[in-house]
Amino acid sequence: MATATLTPATPVIPKNKGRILVDWLTTTDHKKIGYLYLITSFAYFLIGGVMALIIRAQLTMPGLEIVATKEQYNQLFTMHGTIMLLMFATPLFAAFANILMPVQIGAPDVAFPRLNAIAYWFYFFGSLVAVAGFFTPQGAASFGWFAYVPLSTSTFSPGLGGDLWVFGLALSGFGTIMGGVNFITTILTLRAPGMTMFRMPVFTWNTLVTSILVIMCFPPLAASLFALGADRKFGSHIFDPANGGAMLWQHLFWFFGHPEVYILALPFFGIVSEIFPVFSRKPIFGYKTLIYATIAIAALSMTVWAHHMYVTGQVLLPFFAFTTMLIAVPTGVKVFNWIGTMWKGSVSFETPMLWSLGFLTTFIFGGLTGVILSSPTLDFSLSDSYFVVAHFHYVVFGTVVFAMFAGIFFWYPKMTGKMLNERLGKIQFWMLFIGFHGTFLVQHWLGVQGMPRRYATYLPEDNFTFLNEVSTAGSVLLALSFLPFLWNVYITARKGVKVTVNDPWGYGRSLEWATASPFPRHNFTSIPVIRSESPAFDLNHPEASDSVATKKTVKKG
Amino acid sequence: MRTNARLFWLLTVFYVLATIGYALVSLNEPYEGLTSSGPSLGTLKVEIVGTAAIAMLAIMSAFIAFYLQKTARTQGPVPEDNPVAKISDGDAEIGFFNAWSWWPFFLGLFGSIVFASLAVGWWLFMIGLPLGLIALIGFVFENSRGNYAH
Repeated sequence: MATATLTPATPVIPKNKGRILVDWLTTTDHKKIGYLYLITSFAYFLIGGVMALIIRAQLTMPGLEIVATKEQYNQLFTMHGTIMLLMFATPLFAAFANILMPVQIGAPDVAFPRLNAIAYWFYFFGSLVAVAGFFTPQGAASFGWFAYVPLSTSTFSPGLGGDLWVFGLALSGFGTIMGGVNFITTILTLRAPGMTMFRMPVFTWNTLVTSILVIMCFPPLAASLFALGADRKFGSHIFDPANGGAMLWQHLFWFFGHPEVYILALPFFGIVSEIFPVFSRKPIFGYKTLIYATIAIAALSMTVWAHHMYVTGQVLLPFFAFTTMLIAVPTGVKVFNWIGTMWKGSVSFETPMLWSLGFLTTFIFGGLTGVILSSPTLDFSLSDSYFVVAHFHYVVFGTVVFAMFAGIFFWYPKMTGKMLNERLGKIQFWMLFIGFHGTFLVQHWLGVQGMPRRYATYLPEDNFTFLNEVSTAGSVLLALSFLPFLWNVYITARKGVKVTVNDPWGYGRSLEWATASPFPRHNFTSIPVIRSESPAFDLNHPEASDSVATKKTVKKG
Repeated sequence: MRTNARLFWLLTVFYVLATIGYALVSLNEPYEGLTSSGPSLGTLKVEIVGTAAIAMLAIMSAFIAFYLQKTARTQGPVPEDNPVAKISDGDAEIGFFNAWSWWPFFLGLFGSIVFASLAVGWWLFMIGLPLGLIALIGFVFENSRGNYAH
């Protein structure tokens, strides 16, 4: 070990399967850790998706018993929420941030490579512990992913599954905090010369802002999980009714839970902000306003947590309603900027752009219902109905899944050196788009009609049957859309043509398009001079960049 | 570096204003359950939970901003903040990085045993703790060669 840790940068190419395995287990390379994050989180995405399908099947018609007991149904929606938020979407942020952020700022690696690896393994094993509840006699946690006390105390939800959920998530949460610290440090200290803060790509900016949110809101989660664990296992009385436990938990949880939604959203806003300019052949419209909008969203998102608690009647309604509505302003600025980027651009519809447009459409719907829900008067009647379910699936699925596929199709040549098949990608997009809207659009009306969330079934007299059938049919199409994707990945690995150029899309802007595909071990053999926020574009299209960015710098001198 | 510090000062200012705003708005609230336990201003009471939470965000932001500003001052101008810097202006040597390491994997594995043991029982804790400590020490001292040996 003494000499091995000092191995120079040239990688030893693994020869047999054992070497390859060891190589992945011991890696400190930010890109490999990013790929591990990407693969693991996608696996959890599929698992959580199967759970969702079972839930949808159960709700197709009144009185079905596809899920044997109501308790199992509770476990399904609890673990669906937990997996999708904390084992799929949050680590997916870490995946993209790990793979791209150091390259975009011209760094050879992250600031703390071993800490980065630990963050991944904490997430990996912590998630295993949290889902291990399914293998215990009483099953997994069943108190909903936000684990309200007193329901989640050992009095009402005894059992090993809940305990494993609490401590598994605590461990995984520490991993996320470490990841956040690592990203912040990397961006603050490892930028290449000339890469000033206001020349960083929007994705990197959003990574920075998201990481700041992580260090603000994940520690309260870890603390409250430990407190809940102590209540459940060691007989402490932190969340006793005598101490106002129910409100205490809800405050603590949503102080984490609301910014968490923006932790899921912001990096994916960053991904599409990278994609729109490339396929519109224009620089991003209003770069600085976009960044200030991101900062504003992040800052505001820490002050809105109690809008999840309107119906408790014990929160400061005017303040939280005001801040929640205020968030729509910077979000609207972002949408304006994205549309402005495409405006009068030479737009082409390759798969990454298609996915980004799918994101924009879907997300705007979710944002609008969010404004509806921010009003306490309306929220009182819609809270805990399917309207809320439809709202947050539009927001979260719209950003995370659409932008994830946008990012995967966009950067696949950078990650693997091969382009994914465009035609399969378009088939997948339309299947997923129609399937998604078929599943969730009708749920708005179900909610308005009064269908409550988390109920295992309903009565024929409720008149929910038809819309539920539509929703389930949509979810089947949504699920089938993954077949073209998996097939796409497979045939690309088998028969895909190697990418020989640095920038296969032709108009890439940020630094990752100025290095080889796939990335070399320490990202760059040489870094181009950085004079604007799109150094790769300046390098490849000096005639065009001259009019936009370079001149400005020269003028300022 | 100054942009970084300014970013966190910006957050500090926002959270200070938000704290004041929250406290003022809560003075007007009639709800009994909401204001039962706050400091009072005559008959008016401040809702303490949100005020404290947002105030702590202000403190944390100020803390980081102060550190970044202080570091920027001691460090002086750096090439990454120079808009006309050449790539060669940067340090050739960035630092020491392990090319690979077993310890993160083992720390994750044994750490998860310790965490799971809190749910499962003391017997597993007794197995996990020594393993976790070994992994932790291994991780921390991986590159340690003793004093002056580097």
